[in-house]
Amino acid sequence: MLEIRDLHVKVEGEEREILKGLSLKIPKGEVHAIMGPNGSGKSTLAYVLVGRDGYEVTKGDILWNGESVLEMEPEERAAKGIFLAFQYPIEIPGVAGLTFMRSALNAVRKTRGEAELTTPEFMKLIKEKAHKLNIDMEMLKRPVNVGFSGGEKKRSEILQMEVLEPSLCVMDETDSGLDIDALRIVAEGVNAMRSKDRAMLVITHYQRLLNHIVPDRVHVLADGRIRKSGGANLALELEKSGYAEFQEEAA
Amino acid sequence: MEGRLPIGVGSEALNDLSRSAESRAPARQDVALGRRAMNVAVLKTKVEQALTENFAAVEDQFPGGAEARKVRDAAIGRFGALGLPNRRVEAWKYTDLRNALKEVLPLSTGDKAPVTGSDVSAALGPLAGIDAQQVVFVNGAYCEDLSTIGSGSAVDVRSLAEALSLPEATALLSAEGRDDDPVLALNAAYATDGAVVHIADEAKLDKPLLLLFVRAGTEPCFTVARNVVSIGKGADVTLIEAFVTLPGASQGGQENAATKISVGDGASVAHVKCTIDALNGTHLANWLVDLGAHATYNGFQFTSGCKLLRNQIGVAFKGENAQIDISGTFLVRGSQHVDTTLVVDHAVPHGTSRELFKGVLEDQGRGVFQGKVIVQPGAQKTDGMQMVRVLMLSPDAEFDSKPELEIYADDVVCGHGSTSAELDEDLLFYCRSRGIPKAQARALLIESFIGEAIEKVERDDVREALAELARQWLAECGSTKRT
Repeated sequence: MLEIRDLHVKVEGEEREILKGLSLKIPKGEVHAIMGPNGSGKSTLAYVLVGRDGYEVTKGDILWNGESVLEMEPEERAAKGIFLAFQYPIEIPGVAGLTFMRSALNAVRKTRGEAELTTPEFMKLIKEKAHKLNIDMEMLKRPVNVGFSGGEKKRSEILQMEVLEPSLCVMDETDSGLDIDALRIVAEGVNAMRSKDRAMLVITHYQRLLNHIVPDRVHVLADGRIRKSGGANLALELEKSGYAEFQEEAA
Repeated sequence: MEGRLPIGVGSEALNDLSRSAESRAPARQDVALGRRAMNVAVLKTKVEQALTENFAAVEDQFPGGAEARKVRDAAIGRFGALGLPNRRVEAWKYTDLRNALKEVLPLSTGDKAPVTGSDVSAALGPLAGIDAQQVVFVNGAYCEDLSTIGSGSAVDVRSLAEALSLPEATALLSAEGRDDDPVLALNAAYATDGAVVHIADEAKLDKPLLLLFVRAGTEPCFTVARNVVSIGKGADVTLIEAFVTLPGASQGGQENAATKISVGDGASVAHVKCTIDALNGTHLANWLVDLGAHATYNGFQFTSGCKLLRNQIGVAFKGENAQIDISGTFLVRGSQHVDTTLVVDHAVPHGTSRELFKGVLEDQGRGVFQGKVIVQPGAQKTDGMQMVRVLMLSPDAEFDSKPELEIYADDVVCGHGSTSAELDEDLLFYCRSRGIPKAQARALLIESFIGEAIEKVERDDVREALAELARQWLAECGSTKRT
């Protein structure tokens, strides 16, 4: 279970709060969506969950399986099963995709006390998963994300997620930059990962991704707080009414 | 020609030197203020004096006959006139040799200390895995026992000491029009040994030729090596130079090395230099390369050794349609000072030149890169591109870069660039968010940074050995252990 308690966050060195008392619970086995207008704090929430530098938690806590993660380094959180699919996946010149994923997988396995995979084991795993996501193995021999299209980068993120098999998946605007076919492939990948042992958080501006990944709960994030929560239908309502009602409140 | 020659400056003299350097300071200012015209003699440092005086004391013992002696005399004369370059000499503004050299170590002309093949393998580290024909020099003298090559129809290798006794030996010591270079002048004057290599026309060598310069013994010494390599038309060869220190040997030492290489028309040459000497030594070196028409020359320099190091590289296009790639990587830590100074001279049309150097600077390490590309009048259709990129791992590191283009032709494509940056925090975070621990993520990113240059080495075995050397350096390097 992910439990976020009254979380207040600001950018280091700035006064203005971005998250202003956000509370949220995602039990294992559920997929929740956070929707909200630009600037509402969606990406900040994603980065704070995985421990990116530059943010300061001034109040509140984030518990994963009952344990606070705030003092953990990003790699520790990864080993605990927390994964963020980035809105803007980062290019790593000179590091081949396969090398990168193997380093990550073996590092995580090592921290978890599991044996490292042999090269044939790893290659078998990657081939299977890449094939499902329609990712060419040649692409994985190239440096991570370098020269990839927007859609290729997003699929590459989902591939990493599938390979690392995290127990908390956070997807930040995974639909942006995807055409309809790529969206379907990505959604199928995500849906295949739904499991009773896994909590998932889908962060999105638009409802369209939620046609493909139907969430158990939808939350509206505006002005740094959850303003409304509901079932999957809430997303459809928002599609019609927009975020105006929440933005006015905020103003 | 065995044993050390007693020509070092004693420790008393060294103390004296440091004192006198201070007391001489006003005299230097006078020179700087332009009073040279008033015939104020430029005072010589103790080191400059020792280099000139010591030469006279040992001259009788150098290899070569009367003709060679004349050339050596002329060379030491040039050195005497030039002195050690200081920062006011433009080409040496970042490497003040006069200030940096505090002593002259005893010249070594070889060492009787027994050195075994396994000693050499240990010193070579990953390079030992390269299946090569070896020519080994220990403390400045050819070591026949450890060398695995003789004369054959395709390759003729002999030691410089031997070659200097043959007719026309003087060409082996010639300055090649570089009369203004004091380091090269010292090399010609003092050269005790080296490899003289002839590769026959059309010879294709499967195995690389490895010239290996080994420092041995617990007493630091001055070694001077000079290699002269001529590569026949259409030949295809990989030449590797490695400068290494035996485990347990002195961490110091002074080395002056020069390699002259002429590449015949249509020949294809890979030339790799790997300087992984112990961290307290000085290494001053020259590569002088002449290219024939349609020749291909790929030079690569891997540097992680020595405290004070300068690699000068001069390449002259003598025939049309030749192409070169000169690349390298310098890994600098502690208080190391590593200078790469490159001059590419496009004297004829249709030449192509590429340079890519990547440096990693840690601790108080200092890197210097000077790259000059000259396009002579008439050298039309020259295509030149130069890039140097440096990763600064420490706020105390320093990088000085001086790229220069001198273009006297109007139909050319030339460019250069120079960057220095810290490790990208976004990249680091991305790796860590995937579970890769910080130290490992840093090593992965630095390795990939260096890798872009090492990729230039075409032979798999050589490239892998260099990559492994880089990984070992990273593992020893403090920054990757920081958390």
